[in-house]
Amino acid sequence: MRQSHTAIIERDVTWTGKFETEPYEVGWASEAIYFVRVLEKDGQVGRGHAKPQISPDGMHWCDEGTLMGFQESKDVAFVRIARFGTYLRLVGELPPGTTAKVIVYLTLKS
Amino acid sequence: MSDPNPKLSRFSPLSRVITFDDFDTGLNGWTNLIGNYEGSLDSMLPEYRDLRGPMLSNGSMWDTGSAGSWDGTYAMKLATRAQAGSLAVAVKRLTWREPGKIQVEAYVTFKPEASEMALSELDVRAFGFVFDLQDSKDRVMPHLRYLKALNGEQVARWQFKSQRESLENIGGSGKTKSHFHLAGDGWENLPGDPQPLCYNEIATKQNWHYMRLTFDLSDMSYAAFQFNDRVYDLSGIAPMVIPAMANLWCMLNLVFFVETDIDKRVFLSVDSVLLSGDF
Repeated sequence: MRQSHTAIIERDVTWTGKFETEPYEVGWASEAIYFVRVLEKDGQVGRGHAKPQISPDGMHWCDEGTLMGFQESKDVAFVRIARFGTYLRLVGELPPGTTAKVIVYLTLKS
Repeated sequence: MSDPNPKLSRFSPLSRVITFDDFDTGLNGWTNLIGNYEGSLDSMLPEYRDLRGPMLSNGSMWDTGSAGSWDGTYAMKLATRAQAGSLAVAVKRLTWREPGKIQVEAYVTFKPEASEMALSELDVRAFGFVFDLQDSKDRVMPHLRYLKALNGEQVARWQFKSQRESLENIGGSGKTKSHFHLAGDGWENLPGDPQPLCYNEIATKQNWHYMRLTFDLSDMSYAAFQFNDRVYDLSGIAPMVIPAMANLWCMLNLVFFVETDIDKRVFLSVDSVLLSGDF
């Protein structure tokens, strides 16, 4: 049976401008989805974006290559990722004057 | 005689093994600790809002690669934020069925993130273990922590906490309460000298340590505590006690935590955990 795990990366955190999540170790997994659930928002969240990053050591990061968009009409955004290494994090940016209170989930499968 | 099973031979369990968590097959029930809330997450006590949860780690270092765990590839890892005072906490939630002795044994190792080429031996403030228990009268919470350093000064002492924190009402129903029992105040030294540990000589070398805590549910008292070669005298040491709560009967929770002393992530790894009981 495959292993699976949902990690809460952020909970009830307010994003404004640039943001980055804490690293999470995912060496055992082969596929992942970052979900961002927007609890409250003010401004144009739909003009924001986020992107997964990978790292050799959990300290030095590069873009993985996929992009997560936000839609004004949806409370949940996601991005699927595969073929990563030991560490993942999510970085992004909201446009000036926009805030979003979010929960970030990282859903993993072996 | 030790158990011939190589997975168990490094432990000294009581008569019945209740759980054995080798993190090579997942987190085995260990999860995030969250404060109580009602109606909104904003109702949570602020200290509970950002406790970081556990992950599975293969022990990778930037300079030497993956160390793996005690036996196998993965250990449970707790990682704080890079913010002084940040806590990472893992909890496993069970209940008990016989009011006798229970014992947790674990192998643990702690390190700061190797973000600078410096010894960094004073970056981990503390790591520790808590039982969260309830019988028909009381909620009893034995707290033990190893205070490695505080405000940049070496301490290297095991401490206990029996001081209660204030119990706050959460929301408006009258059903939800919360107290932040892991607060940094009120910890007292266990008797004896400081216990320096094997931190090793650079930030990427980590050594595993043995921990054993025995607690007697029959009279809710400490029975024994050992860390590596040191066995502590716990006679006269009281656990934290508060009146029994409405929905926690026979609770048996296990908690590991780690706290950073500076604006740098620090880690506690655990592999494995064995909970046993005399029944």
